[in-house]
Amino acid sequence: MNTAILGIYEDEDLMISALKRIRDEKMEISEVFTPYPVHEVFKILKRKTRLPLATFLFSSLGAILTYLFLYWASVLSYPLIFGGKPLHSIPSFILISFVMMIFFGVFLSVIAFLVRSKLYPGKKVKIHDLRITDNAFVILIDKKPEMSSDDIKLLNSILKEHGAIEVLEK
Amino acid sequence: MDENYSVSPTFKFIILGIVFVGIITIGLGLYINPEKTWANFLLSNYYFISIIVGATFFLAIQYITQSGWSAMFIRIPHAIGMYMPVAAITILFLIFGMHSIYHWSIPGVAEHSPEIEHKSPYLNIPFFFIRLVIIFALWILMTWLLRKTSLKEDHESNLKYFYKSEYYSKIYIFILAITFSLLTFDLIMSIDVYWFSTVFAVKNFVSGFYHAVSVITLIVILLNRNGYFRDLNKTHLRYFSRYIFILGIIWAYLWFIQYLLIWFANIQEETIYYVIRTEGKWKTFFFLNIILNWAIPFSILLPARTNANKLVLIFISIILIIGHWVDLYLQIMPGSVGEFNIGYIEIGVFAGFSGLFIFIVSRALGRIPLIPKNHPYLGESINLH
Repeated sequence: MNTAILGIYEDEDLMISALKRIRDEKMEISEVFTPYPVHEVFKILKRKTRLPLATFLFSSLGAILTYLFLYWASVLSYPLIFGGKPLHSIPSFILISFVMMIFFGVFLSVIAFLVRSKLYPGKKVKIHDLRITDNAFVILIDKKPEMSSDDIKLLNSILKEHGAIEVLEK
Repeated sequence: MDENYSVSPTFKFIILGIVFVGIITIGLGLYINPEKTWANFLLSNYYFISIIVGATFFLAIQYITQSGWSAMFIRIPHAIGMYMPVAAITILFLIFGMHSIYHWSIPGVAEHSPEIEHKSPYLNIPFFFIRLVIIFALWILMTWLLRKTSLKEDHESNLKYFYKSEYYSKIYIFILAITFSLLTFDLIMSIDVYWFSTVFAVKNFVSGFYHAVSVITLIVILLNRNGYFRDLNKTHLRYFSRYIFILGIIWAYLWFIQYLLIWFANIQEETIYYVIRTEGKWKTFFFLNIILNWAIPFSILLPARTNANKLVLIFISIILIIGHWVDLYLQIMPGSVGEFNIGYIEIGVFAGFSGLFIFIVSRALGRIPLIPKNHPYLGESINLH
């Protein structure tokens, strides 16, 4: 039994025109695979992401924690004057806080992304077509029980019309 | 499409009035307080030189990277480049005010100071002006060549003009890298003649580029509000704000490494530069500089919701135009005038120069078609999404 329709494109603009058409037909697009981020896709699918906000919060957390740690280490726990600098020397703390901000931001964002999209090492993923992992722009539409065969035909023709190099049912 | 910008007579009248006020302030200031007037004269001159350099560098970068999005707007940096000959003439007036600004230029100083003696083969008045003339001749030539090629393209659809522009752009940024470094050393760094910094040229270059992009953005948005650039959309604005955002980070980075290295190394002749600037009345400007040039643009342009808004970008551009002045005030005044005092001379001289700049650039915008006709990426720029 086929469960999904795939439209495979080699051009970003063709794929976007197909997406717009399918949206106008009020059909639900399950997934879009692109080799690089295409902002238009976000807008058309009305998807929202809070990952940038998460990155911002993680980075702020990293910077603040590091600053507090440096303050604790060089002022409270082991107050040692070196190089004629004050114990609480802001410029040198900023540098380390900045680096740790990047570290926290990057690593925790990646982890948050993996957790949010339920990815883990050894997970079995169903790859519909190998070109998804390559240079193709792929539109994936899940077949639902309430879809009539006319709907499926219409989808097929829309995908073809807008320049898909191949339309698969898998 | 081929609409030309037209300057309204009232606008022209007001601008010429401001220029007149500037001339009167300079005249009056030279009589009352020549030292301060010359320092402000240098500040305003350098301010607009760095804006021109930044704008034309922006132009060159667009050609070299073959950017599509900006094809519509390239006539604005071209028009800003037309201020170059005027800037070259006004900077040469500095010959009358050298002694007020540059300690090393006073005759006899070199005999008492081995440091100045050591630098004197480079830092002497004749060579200073020879360098200025050569640098400006090169810049005027290159911006003229770039403009001529772009205008020729309007009459004849041929890709060779685009490649020619790209070729000139490559030569131009190569020239800029060397000449702008020398110019900042000469005009700004030699005020504090005992002090030196190796990132100084890069810092000032990025500063010019940064503020020039905000000036270009401001001009684009203002023209759009007056009915030009009807194809301006959110994506163009987002690209402009990205330029400002990224350059803001680079500016802050370069500001910070210069400060950090001097602070860490703690060598007397280097730290004195910052000791003066973090004490007394200068301290307010020291922090204001960071807030205006980095903190405000960074925090406002960070969320995606605000960074493609015209009013936000106008606000940021105005903040940066003030910020560039504050930055230069802090670099020039402690070494030349020596006291923090903002009065009518500061405001008048800067107003006069900005009036001149607006007058020349708006006239230039009226003389060349606002949107290039046969630029190969024009379609991409207009239909950007």
